[in-house]
Formats: sequence, structure tokens, C-alpha cells
Amino acid sequence: MPAVELVGITKRFGDVVANDGIDLSIETGEIHAVVGENGAGKSTLMSVMYGVHQPDAGHVLRDGVRLRMRSPADAIAAGLGMVHQRLRLFPGLTVAENVVIGAEPTRRGVLDTAAASREVERLGELYGLRADPAARVGTLPVGVRQRVEILRALYRRARVLILDEPTAVLTPGEAARLFEVLRGVTGEGVSVVLVTHKLGEVLAASNRVTVLRGGRVTGRFATAETTAQELVVAMIGRSLAPRPLAPPGERAAGPYLLEVENVRVRGGEGPARVGGVSFGVRRGEIVGIAGVAGSGQRELLDVVTGLRTPDEGRVLLAGAPVRRGRDPRVAYVPEDRPGRATAPTMSLADNLLMGGQRERRFSRAAVRERARALVERFGVRAASLDEPISVLSGGNAQKAVLARELSGDRPLVVVEEPTQGVDVGAQEQIHALLAQARDEGRAVLLQSSELSELRALADRILVMFEGAIVAELSAEEAGEDRLGAAMTGAAG
Amino acid sequence: MNLTTRTAPLLAPVAALALTTLVMLATGVDPFLAYPALVRGAVGEGNLEYTVAAYVPVLGMALAFAIPLRTGELNLGGDGQLALGGVAAAAAALLVPLPPVLAVVFPLVVAALAGGLLAWVAAPLRARLGIPVIVTTLLLSPPGVALASYLARFPLAERGTGLAQTPVLPDASHLPALGESGYLTPALPVVALLTALWLYADAGTALGYEIRATGANREFARYGGVGVARLGAVTLATGGAVAGLVGGLVVLGPPYRFVDGALVAPGYTFTAIAAVLLATGRPVLVPFTSALLTVLQAGGQGMEREAGVPSQLTQIVQGLIIVIVAVLALARRRTAKKRPGGVTP
Repeated sequence: MPAVELVGITKRFGDVVANDGIDLSIETGEIHAVVGENGAGKSTLMSVMYGVHQPDAGHVLRDGVRLRMRSPADAIAAGLGMVHQRLRLFPGLTVAENVVIGAEPTRRGVLDTAAASREVERLGELYGLRADPAARVGTLPVGVRQRVEILRALYRRARVLILDEPTAVLTPGEAARLFEVLRGVTGEGVSVVLVTHKLGEVLAASNRVTVLRGGRVTGRFATAETTAQELVVAMIGRSLAPRPLAPPGERAAGPYLLEVENVRVRGGEGPARVGGVSFGVRRGEIVGIAGVAGSGQRELLDVVTGLRTPDEGRVLLAGAPVRRGRDPRVAYVPEDRPGRATAPTMSLADNLLMGGQRERRFSRAAVRERARALVERFGVRAASLDEPISVLSGGNAQKAVLARELSGDRPLVVVEEPTQGVDVGAQEQIHALLAQARDEGRAVLLQSSELSELRALADRILVMFEGAIVAELSAEEAGEDRLGAAMTGAAG
Repeated sequence: MNLTTRTAPLLAPVAALALTTLVMLATGVDPFLAYPALVRGAVGEGNLEYTVAAYVPVLGMALAFAIPLRTGELNLGGDGQLALGGVAAAAAALLVPLPPVLAVVFPLVVAALAGGLLAWVAAPLRARLGIPVIVTTLLLSPPGVALASYLARFPLAERGTGLAQTPVLPDASHLPALGESGYLTPALPVVALLTALWLYADAGTALGYEIRATGANREFARYGGVGVARLGAVTLATGGAVAGLVGGLVVLGPPYRFVDGALVAPGYTFTAIAAVLLATGRPVLVPFTSALLTVLQAGGQGMEREAGVPSQLTQIVQGLIIVIVAVLALARRRTAKKRPGGVTP
């Protein structure tokens, strides 16, 4: 009998179907990897298993008994434990206090510190999880903190551990130790659900693999009998044959317009977000950046646009350093439309102005005139220039952002996820605009998680993994298999 | 969703008055007696000029709150900035004798600097240490008030009277009267001019646009190359300077001295905050909402005299207005969230 079984789980958010009839069974004492790209539905599925979300259809069985879960408290009572990607610990308390919190051993109504410490040591011994019970959590490295979370779950008698992207914040050494710990834990009959998108880890650590794509199960494998190649195909699927929208430009020659030299960005904790990246982009070419979300693309592009100062290295544009804050020579279409690219509550006219407010004498009439010209030229469909931009459809809002950024004479164009949340018709127009920018002799840097988009537009594709560029492929070389393998850190 | 934004400035006072009427009925007060008394108390014979005089500091303090609010910063330290500005103006007038016009201008400049400095302190604390402006300004306000009080009681105190006030300022520093009662001074046109300037800057200049963009979405403005931290500091200092200036204008008017507590006791600061919140993000409404709340407050005293209704009742109205505006804003956010698109799977 499986330790936990999910049967026909369906979960919708508004119009989005995050999980669509998913079956998943976790055997006692196995490490079961759940893999898939961002947005494949992994996190939602785990939230359902842990009682955070209630499914619209389907149910959860624990040792064959159907669970009624209204909140994580029910899941904990049923012997499930979750280790979140962002650790939820109290940095000011000791390891022992963090472990026992919520179910403290007491003596005459007072916390029994000695008993708590003994319990932490006993569990540590049993499962091979070493941690000093008296140490303050805030002073410990991330890898040890994560062990504290695991200890906390085990202290509450968890028999099924769910780990959400546990290695995202770890160095390779810490990750290796984590997997040792997990093997030790399963030796005691605990089951582990390992959510990840790193295929190397899956192959090294798991017993079985379930692959999700677009909210559905697209593959179930015994790890020993599968290959990275097979998993990649299940993860990203066979998409349509490449259909070059715009034939690649004349192979651009000449000096680099944009030069990125050995750029390094450190995050708050954990390993560097971008570790020593160098590349160049010439006028008249589109360079694509591929990679699983969170591989350092965001940080790298923030450095290129001048919004972020790198810890090391430099970025040159036409030989001169990129200006801090925002360089007026860079057109930049960010991925986060409501958070960064627009101010949703401001009018369309005001949104089209940003960056150009000091170019000419400011007047309401001039602002509207500029907006009207842009809306016409770029075919933005809007009822009024004075309505907030948030009432526009995703495609029209994105066209407005492109209109604003591409209108000036800016030699470098940086674009993130240009067609995310955009209807098909607008997608083609956006692709045409990017191809046009290239044909005008601008240098275009395009980051996208749509591989077909990269293959259709980019002349070269750089693949990022864990903060580094691990492969550079020409448009012809970039098959989805090779791209996908490089993206997940399997041999490129 | 636009319905609630558009109607809030109207809906909130009406609903608040309706609730207040219920309170009146519950406590046995005749609304038909109380409301006419309220109106007479505010705009009746002899009272109008007083109400207009009270409008000046309310409108001024509304600017002090509204200017930083446009970048998203909440300046709750109006009282401290007001009192410090007042005492600074008094000190400047008393200690630096100057010829006529300068004797007015110089103390007002000093008042604006004092208020502006106190408010500005919050900006670097936010930028460097991440302490919210709302906290800093609120916590720096009582020390500002206390410092003003100390100066009025000891170094600048009028000798021999034992009252907590400065001596009467030199004649050259008195603001001239603009009417018979002497309540009205050039403070009214000065504050009106500042309001007009602010409204123009907000809607018709690149700076105003950058300020609005920062308030609407800080990251959007930063992405657009706007120096958001610098703008926050500038608007905070400007708001504080207006508050200080208002303090100076009051002190240079009758009774031409700084009287401890006289600036803070009437509660201009929070009346003004209520007026700005009631305007729900539309600057052009601020002069009108300020007028409405001033009338309520001035009328409250008339109501107390004539109908025996405690004037605190008007504070209930004011409080209810704020609560209702907040509830409407929340309702708006709730409905906005329900629309599809904002969900991450």
C-alpha cells in the first residue's frame, strides 16, 4: 500500500487549470521526484497534498484512508511534513526551540529546554541529521537551517516529507549532504517527495520520477530505467516544428555593441546568483537567453539595463559603461508587467510617457499627443488614453510597453518574456516588432522560457544554468533536446 | 470598481452624517435643532470670518500631508513640524530685528526650514535603514512639539507672567489684517497660492509626473530612471516646510506670539489628514474636503453653544468619514482581486 496517494487531483485558479486530474502515489521509504518546468503545477500539487489548497476534484489517501484536509494542521496530524523553499524558521531562537515550536515539551507548564535538546539529539542520531541544539538559527549556514526544518517535521512524527526545491538555496556541497540525509531518513521508513527541476539531482537521488507538464502527468519512470533525455522530452514536450517568423538576419559581423565582462551578482544567502558571466551582442542580431526560471537571467538582465550594480565585472555599451539607474540608450521590456513595466493604476497616456517626461516641455496636451502617436503607430487597441492601463488586454498592454521602449533611438533592446500572457495575434505582432528592431540595426537581447520563441527569433542562444552560461548554440543547433538538456544542467 | 472611487468623497460624508444622526437620536438630541445650529455656527453672522481663518491652517496642513503622499510616503508628523515652525518664526522675529517686509519674510523662511528639516529626517532613515516614514514622522512629532514647548516656556518665555508663551512679536513682524475682525491675514492668499502651485506642479510638470509615478508604482518609476529615494526626500521636506510655514503664519497673526499648545490643540493636523484621505487621490478635491471638515469643526462649537450638543460629535463625524473611506477602498481592492488574471498557479 502506498504511504500517500493522490487520486484525480484537479485544481483551478480562475480560468487557469493548475492541476488537471493528477494521480500520484508515494511508496513507503522511497524518494519520489516530482519534476516539471515552472508553471507545470508542481507547487499547486504539493499545496494540495499538504492541505494548503483544497482540490476542486480528487482526494488524498494516507495509508489507504481518505483524508479530510481543511488546513496544513490536518496534514501534519496525518503524518505529513513540508520543508518550504523559503525556510520558515525563527532566526533569534535556538535550534531546539525551532524544532519543538508548536508542540513544546513542558515541565509544570514551562518549556523544558533540556528535554527539547535531548529530543533534537535523539532525532539527529536516529536520522543522521547533526545540528547543535543550543545554536541560534540565525547564525547557521543555510544548509544546516534546512536540516532544522527537516528535524522539525520529523519531531512532529512526519512519515512523509515534502521538499520544495530544496537545493535552490544550497551550494553543491550542501546539496550532496542533503541527499545523504534524505537517504538516511528513507532507511527509517520515511517517504520523501522531492520537488525539483534539476534533472541531475533526480537521477542521482530518487527512486521514481513523475513528470508534470501543463498541469498533467506526462511521464512516470523508475529512475534506474530512464535517462535525462527521456525526462527532458516529457518535461518540455515536442512542440511545433520551428517556424522561423523572420529569417535570421545576415550573419551580423563587426564589434560588439554590448559587452558583458565577467559579471558576478551575489544574492542575499546561498550561492552567487550570477557567477562570472561574459558575452557580447552585435548590432543587427538577436541573442536569446534560455534557462529554467531562477537560473540568474533576471539578475543578469538587471545588470545589463543598469538597474542593478554587479558585485564584480562590468557592462559596456558602445564602449562606455552602462549608466546606473537606467541608461537612456537601453530599451527594456521587463517580464513583470504590473510590477515593473507599468503602473497599473495610471492612465495609458501616463504609462506611455515614462522615460520621455523630460525630453520635451511637459504639458498635458503634449503627453496625450505623444501617446496618440504611439498608440496609432504600434496598433495598441484602447478605448481611451485616460483609462488606467490595467483595463487593457495583456497583448495590448504589452504592445504599449513595446511602443514606449522601441519608439526612441535606443541602440540596445533588452526583452524579457515578451509574449507571456499575450494572445496569439499579438504574439505575432510582437515577434515582428523584435525582428524589425534587429533589421534596423539594433542589438537585441531576448530572454524567454518559450523555446519555440527563441528558436524562431534568435540568431544565437545562450543557455543559463545556476547563474552561469553553460552553452551557446546557433539557431540551427538549438534543438529542443539540446536546449532542454543544457537548461536542466544535464550534459550540454 | 470605479464607482466607489468616484463617489467616495460624496458617499463617505453622507453616510457619516446619517450615522451621526442615529447617534443623535439615540442620545436624545433633536437633529432639527442640532444641524441648523451647526450651520449657523460655521457660516452664520460673525462666525464666517473665524471659520475662514481656521481654514488656512487646515488647508496648509492638508498640503503638508498630501505632497509626500503623492510619492507614497505618509507624513504623520504634522504637529511637530507645525509647532517647531511656529516657535522658530517667533524666535527669528524676536531675536533678529529687521525692517518691515523682511521682518515678516525672514521668520517665515526660518519656520519653513525648521518644519522641513524635521520632516526630511525621515527620508534617509527610510533609504538607509528601511524604517517606514509613517513611523519616523509620527515618533519625531512629540519631540518636536516638546522642543517648541520648552523654548516657549524657558529661553523665549515672556518674563514675569508665568504663562507658557513668548512676548508679543515686534510690530514689524505682524501680518497685516485683511478685514475688520483682524482674524484674516495674508496667510490665506499665501496658502491658496501654495495650493494652486502644488496642483499645477502635480498635473502639469515632469516633476509632478515623476512624483505620481513613484506613488503609483515605485518599481515602475525606478525602472523608468526616476530617483525615487531622492523624490521621497524632496516631497517629505517640502511637506514639512509647508507645515512649518503654516506654524509661522499663525504665529505672525493675532495674537502675534507663540502660545504653547495653541497650534497643536485645535487638531489641524488630523483634520487635514482626514480631508486628504477623503479626497481619495484627487488633489483638486483637497481644498473642498478641507473646507467641508473645517466647517464641521467650526460649526461644532456653535452647535454646542446653541443646542447643547457636545462638539465632540463632529469628531465622531470626522472619524466615521475616515473609516468609511477606508472601507470603500478595501471593498474596491477586494473586487479588483476577484477579476481573473492576477492569479499565479
